[in-house]
This record gives sequence, C-alpha cells and structure tokens, in this order.
Amino acid sequence: MSSTSQKHKDFVAEPMGEKPVMALAGIGEVLGKRLEEKGFDKAYVVLGQFLVLKKDEELFRDWLKDTCGANAKQQGDCYGCLKEWVHGFMS
Amino acid sequence: MSSFSNMSAEEISSLLDEHGIKHGPVVDSTRNLYEKKLKEAMAKRKQAKPSPDKTFYREEEEEVTYVYRTPTKSENFMESRPYMRSKPEWTAEELEHSASYSGYSRSSEYRGRDYDELSHKMPVGAKTAPIRSGQDAPKAPKSPRLIPLWVQFLCFLAVAVFLYFVFSSMESSEPLKVIE
Repeated sequence: MSSTSQKHKDFVAEPMGEKPVMALAGIGEVLGKRLEEKGFDKAYVVLGQFLVLKKDEELFRDWLKDTCGANAKQQGDCYGCLKEWVHGFMS
Repeated sequence: MSSFSNMSAEEISSLLDEHGIKHGPVVDSTRNLYEKKLKEAMAKRKQAKPSPDKTFYREEEEEVTYVYRTPTKSENFMESRPYMRSKPEWTAEELEHSASYSGYSRSSEYRGRDYDELSHKMPVGAKTAPIRSGQDAPKAPKSPRLIPLWVQFLCFLAVAVFLYFVFSSMESSEPLKVIE
C-alpha cells in the first residue's frame, strides 16, 4: 500500500467546507487553475463530480485527465483522497 | 460517425449501455466524458473488423513472411545507410578511438540482428521471388519496390561482411597503439 501525503491526511481529517480545489491531494497550482477555469473552483464541486460519476475510479480518473490534464499519479491521489473523505463523512 | 451533440441524454445513456460502458447520469458535466468514451468504443469496433483480412494472410504462409518482412527489411535498409556513410570516416581518420568503439557496439548489435534476419530470410527468399509475380494480380495496393529485393539483400550482405572485416582487424591491434 502506498503511503498518503500530508495533504491527503489534512483533507480527509475534517469536513471540506469551503476549501479551494487546490486543497485536494494531487491537485496543485497548475491543475487547480485549470479546474477553476472550468468552473470547479471549490473542492466540493469536484466532490459533486466524483459522486455524479458514481464514485467509479476509472470514470473519475478519465474525467480528471480530460478536464485538467492530470497524470496517473495525480489522478490516483485525488481519487484516493475523495474516496476516503466520502467514506469518513458520507457513509 | 454520428454526432453525439444532437443526441439526448437518454440516447447517450442507452448507447453507453450498448457498448457495456459503466456510467452515471448524463448531465452537463459528464456529457463530454461519455461522448469521448463512446467515440473510443466505436473506433475500437471499427478496428476489430479488419482482422479477418489478416487471418486471410495467415492461411498462406509464404505471404505472411513476405508481408511481415517488409517493415523490418526497410527498417534494416534505413539503418545500413548511416553505416555506409561512416565507412569513409573510418578510413580517412584512421580509426579514431571513440568513433571505432561506438561503431563496434553498433556493428555487433547490427550483426546480431543481421544473422537473425539472414537465418529467417534464407528459406523465404527463394519462395518470395516466384510468388511475387502471382501476388501482384490479387494484391494491387502493395507498394512497388524501387530497388529489387535481391539488390537490397546483396548490399546488406556486403555491408555486414565489410563491418566484420573491420571489426576483426581492429581486435588484433591494441587500443594504445591506435591513439598514437
């Protein structure tokens, strides 16, 4: 099992509230800007997309790649982060 | 290719089901993604169709080896050209140290492939010549050879033999002597 980053741990530890999209693991400044331009300016909007894609890993990764050009690692980090957050706060 | 933008969400949803693509609701934010997935799925289906042609080739052995050899053959021929250019370099500069070693590593690789190619080609070469005339009639779209196959074959052999001679002559002399 790969270890999670500090960013991941910080995100899944508390409700996301109004956190910006760059608070998500795997999403840095560059990707964050691209997502904001497409209207995904808050983490909860990406969460919404994650849920609409039925929390499916492949769909979410493909969507993330198409929307902001995330590479495989970034896709995985973001997916893992959201998945764990949902597990902690929505189940 | 049908334009997906004219389709309703339900139509796209049913198309996704047809192709066996797992999906969620087709809403504004997911539509692009699903359209792209459908395009890929349709392209794959189209690609799957030409495979029966390849099975046709497989039934006739000689044709298969001929077809599959052409890309590697042209590839090898492309590689042999830089070697032909480097030949005058070597003779002119009297075997410069670094150039000769890099040349050897390349020539040894080249030779390795060379012999593989030769072992494969020997039985096939005899067959492809008479078959080619027969093949021309059924297979029109095949690109015509500017240089006949046997000429390419000879050049190939000549370069290989030359490289072998150079290589063997170099092994006898010591590296230090070459610098001087």
